[in-house]
Amino acid sequence: MTSELLRQYNYDEFLPEKFMPWMRFEESPALGVAAPDFPLWRLEDRARTLLAEWWSKNLYLVVEFGSFT
Amino acid sequence: MNAIAEKYAEDGVASVFLYTNEAHPAEHFPHLTSMEQKFHHAAALRDELGVSRPILVDALDGPCHRAYGSMPNMTWIFNRAGQAIYKSDWTDANSVANALEYYLDISRRRKDRESLAPFTVQRLDYRNADRLAFFKGLTRNGRQAVDDFIKAFGLPPKEFHWEDRDSADDAD
Repeated sequence: MTSELLRQYNYDEFLPEKFMPWMRFEESPALGVAAPDFPLWRLEDRARTLLAEWWSKNLYLVVEFGSFT
Repeated sequence: MNAIAEKYAEDGVASVFLYTNEAHPAEHFPHLTSMEQKFHHAAALRDELGVSRPILVDALDGPCHRAYGSMPNMTWIFNRAGQAIYKSDWTDANSVANALEYYLDISRRRKDRESLAPFTVQRLDYRNADRLAFFKGLTRNGRQAVDDFIKAFGLPPKEFHWEDRDSADDAD
């Protein structure tokens, strides 16, 4: 994790030159193949979990990405 | 989306909210600089905006969010095998419910031993586009969020007034 990546990803102003580089839906993973897994942290207890732990325990898993803002 | 989560939970559908970077940072919710702050903002999402689904927080540099296309409010659906089966560059409850009905029917057909083969379909869905409500929502973040959005995409609807803000607090 570089400080430059942290700064660019967590941009401080909603300006096209800052947010447009992150609009990469067309480059996102294909459907129907193994999806990439990542560690995540549960808000309720800050425990580490994996995305795969959630999809493997349920028939289907709906994941909404977003933030307060 | 909370209602969708509750409606389909008994069918074996889990729903989570994955916390990313701040799309419209401003005075009340500035850009993220630490995981502690990210947890704090995620708690506000739960407590102030009423997200009742489990909230999972991505690392500060957003590796999961970035790997999936880093759109500000997208939704993905995964099956138990770990395959993405639905992806939408914007979250719309009607679209998600429509997809879940389809996939639950697929599960029933599989139980009935119907022979099924996957294929890919692209479809353009439609969401509600209430610009006035959107601008009011931006006011929760602070005046910078409204000003930045106007700079990027133009003026708000004429019915919008800063005094109509959603938040009772104003950093000014």
